[in-house]
Amino acid sequence: MKRHVMGIDFGSTTAKCVILDMKGNIVADSVAHMGAVSGEGVKAAIRDTLDKAGLEQADMGRTVSTGYGRRMLDEADKNYTEITCHARGAVAMVPGARLVIDIGGQDSKVISVDSNGLVAQFAMNDRCAAGTGKFLEVLARAVEIDLESLGDTALEAKEKLKISSMCATFAETEVISLLAEGYAKTDVLGAVHAAIAARTLGLVGRVGKNGPVVMTGGVAKNPAAVKYIQDALGMPLHLPHKPQIAGALGAALLGLDDYRKQTAYVISEEEDMAHEDQMAQDKACIPGCRGTPELVVDPAEAKPAPRKGGLKSILSTLQDNL
Amino acid sequence: MDRSDIIARFAEVAQDPLAYAAAWKARTGKQVIGSFPMNFPGELAHAADTLPMILQESDEAITVGHGVLFPFYCGYTRSMVDQAASGKFDVLDAIMFGDHCVQLLGAADAIRMKLTDTRVIFFQLISSMCDPWTQGRSEESFGKLRDELEDFIGAKVSDAALHASIRLFNKNRALIRKLYEMRKAGTAAIRAVEMQHVVKSSMIMDKAEHTDLLQELVASYTDAPAADRNVRLHLSGHFCQAPKPELLNMIESCGVTVVGDDLYHGFRYISTDVPETGDPVAGLARWYMDRNTGVPCPTRVQNNVDWEAYLLDAMREEKADGMIVLMAKFCEPHMYYYPEVKEAFEGAGVPHLLIETEHEGMAMEGLKTRVETFVEIVKRREAA
Repeated sequence: MKRHVMGIDFGSTTAKCVILDMKGNIVADSVAHMGAVSGEGVKAAIRDTLDKAGLEQADMGRTVSTGYGRRMLDEADKNYTEITCHARGAVAMVPGARLVIDIGGQDSKVISVDSNGLVAQFAMNDRCAAGTGKFLEVLARAVEIDLESLGDTALEAKEKLKISSMCATFAETEVISLLAEGYAKTDVLGAVHAAIAARTLGLVGRVGKNGPVVMTGGVAKNPAAVKYIQDALGMPLHLPHKPQIAGALGAALLGLDDYRKQTAYVISEEEDMAHEDQMAQDKACIPGCRGTPELVVDPAEAKPAPRKGGLKSILSTLQDNL
Repeated sequence: MDRSDIIARFAEVAQDPLAYAAAWKARTGKQVIGSFPMNFPGELAHAADTLPMILQESDEAITVGHGVLFPFYCGYTRSMVDQAASGKFDVLDAIMFGDHCVQLLGAADAIRMKLTDTRVIFFQLISSMCDPWTQGRSEESFGKLRDELEDFIGAKVSDAALHASIRLFNKNRALIRKLYEMRKAGTAAIRAVEMQHVVKSSMIMDKAEHTDLLQELVASYTDAPAADRNVRLHLSGHFCQAPKPELLNMIESCGVTVVGDDLYHGFRYISTDVPETGDPVAGLARWYMDRNTGVPCPTRVQNNVDWEAYLLDAMREEKADGMIVLMAKFCEPHMYYYPEVKEAFEGAGVPHLLIETEHEGMAMEGLKTRVETFVEIVKRREAA
C-alpha cells in the first residue's frame, strides 16, 4: 500500500504542493511562482515537494488538484474547487474556524464553515480583481515599490486617505493623482489597503460574520492587509504559518479521506488527536505571533476571559466572545 | 426527421427568431406580430391568421440602443430597444406590449418612438390576482386586445377560430409538459439547453409546424437513459429572457442534471392550458389567473400563493437536491422577491445558489468555480 497523498493548488500566480503521510502529517510542501500557461511553475512545485520528501509521484496513493488550473493536471486523480479545499485546509490549520478569508492572486473569497467543518456559504469577487493580490501588484507598480515591502510601508501610514474605486485600473489612476498632489507614499498605500479591507468586509457581510476567522492565501503574508482587515472586521485574524498552502493542504486532506476509505486505513483516536493538536499549535497564530507553539488569544479578548485550559477551551471562549 | 435533426431545427429557430419570421412571411404572405413576454395570449393573434412570436433578447452587444434607454434597464428591455433602433424589427407588422413591469413600460415607449410605422397594440392586465373583479377585468383586457387585433387585420376573429387556436396551443403545451415529465422521471435525457430550444422555438414558430415536430420528438424517446450520479438541480428565475445556452451548458458540465425549472423559457411558459369550451375570451382570462397558481410570478399579487412554497414543493416532486437561481441583472421584481426565497430555502435546509446574469456576458470560469463548489457542497452534505 502506498503511504502518501498529494494536494496541488494550481493558482493564477503561484503553484502550491503538499504531501501528507497517512496520519495527515505534512511531509513536505512547496510554493512556486508560475508560468501560468506553460504550467512550468506547477511542475516545479510538484518536483520540489517530491524531492523534499524523497518520494516519487508513483508513491502517491491519491493526488487531488485545486485552483483555477485544477482540470489541467494529468497527475491528479480528482479535483475540487479552491473554495472547498481552502475551507478544508484552513479548518485543519485552525480547528474550530468558522470563517475563512482567502485572498489570492486573482480572486478573493470568504467562506463560512459549519460546525462539521463543511462549507456552509461562500462569496467571491465575481466582477473584477478588486481586493486581490493582482490589485496590490498593480498599485505597487504605481507607487514604484517592491511588492514584498508594500505591507511594511503601508503600516507607516499617518494620514487617512480614501481610494474610492474598486477597479484596479481606476484605482491606479487615483493613486497616481494622490501622489501627484503630494501625499506621502505611506499614506497612499494605507488607503490602498483600507480599500482591500472594505472590499473583504463586503464579502464577509454576504456570508455572515462569525469567528474564529482564518486568513489564507498569499495576501495573508502582507502585514498591512492583515491589520486593515482585522480593524475593519473588529475581530482578530488567525494566520496559519504558511497561509499560501491552505488550498493544497485541503486538497491533500480530501485525497487522504478518499484513500483511507479505499484502503480501509484506520487512524487511532490518539494519533488523530495528537495530530490535530500539533497542527493547530504549529500553524495557528494571530498577527505578530507566527510560529509560536500555541494559539495566542488577542490581548483585548484575553482580559475579560483569561486563558484557563488547553486549545479547545480557548477556542470555545473565543467563539463565545465573538 | 430523427431526434437530433428536430432539436437542431428548434435550435436554429431559437437562435435567430427574426430570420424564421422573415422566411415564414415570405412563404405565406401573412403578417407577423411580435409581443413582449409573460402573459401574452398568442392564441388570439394565431386565430387572427398571423404569426405570433415572443420577441427574444438578442446575443448582440447593445449599441445604438444606448442612446434610447439607460444602462440600468434590464438586458431584455435594452436588447429590445436596441433591436428596434437598429432596424431588426422591420419584419414585424405589429407589436403587442403588456405592462408587466416598469422597465417593459419604458421599453415600450422607446420602441414606439423608434418604430413610428409599426402598429403598436398595448394591453394592460390586472396584477392583483385574487380579487372578486380579477376575472372580469382580465376578460375586459383580452376583449380589448381582440378588438384591436380585429381592427389591425380588418376582419373579425371568430369564436370558432379562437377555439381552434386554443386547442392547438394546448396540444403544443401538453407535449412539452410530457417532455418535462419524462425528464423528471428519468425516462428521457433532455439537456437543459435542448429543453430551452424546444420551448423557445415554440414561442416563435408556426404552432402547427412546431407541434408536428414536437410529436415526433416526444415519440423518439423510447429507451431509458443510463442512470448517472449527477446532482439533480432545479433552475429558477429569468421571467422574460432565455438564459444564455453557454450558461446552461456550463452548469450541466459541473456534474449537474437539470430536472426541473420555472424559467419563462421553460415550464413557466407551458404550465397552464386555456379552457377549450365556453366563451374563449373568458377562457383566456381564466388561463391568465390559473398561470399564477400554476407557477407563481413575483410580478403578480396573490395572497394565497407563495412562489417560494411552490419552488420547494416542485423540488420535492422532482427529487431535486438543490436549486440555482438565475437572476437577470436589474430585474426588479426578482431582486425584491429573492429575499423571501432565500429565507424559505435556508429555513427548509435546501441548498441554493444565486447567479446574477447579464446581457453583456459573464466571466464563465469564475461562475464555473461557484457552480462546482455548490455541487461539492450538495454532495458532501448528502454524504455527511
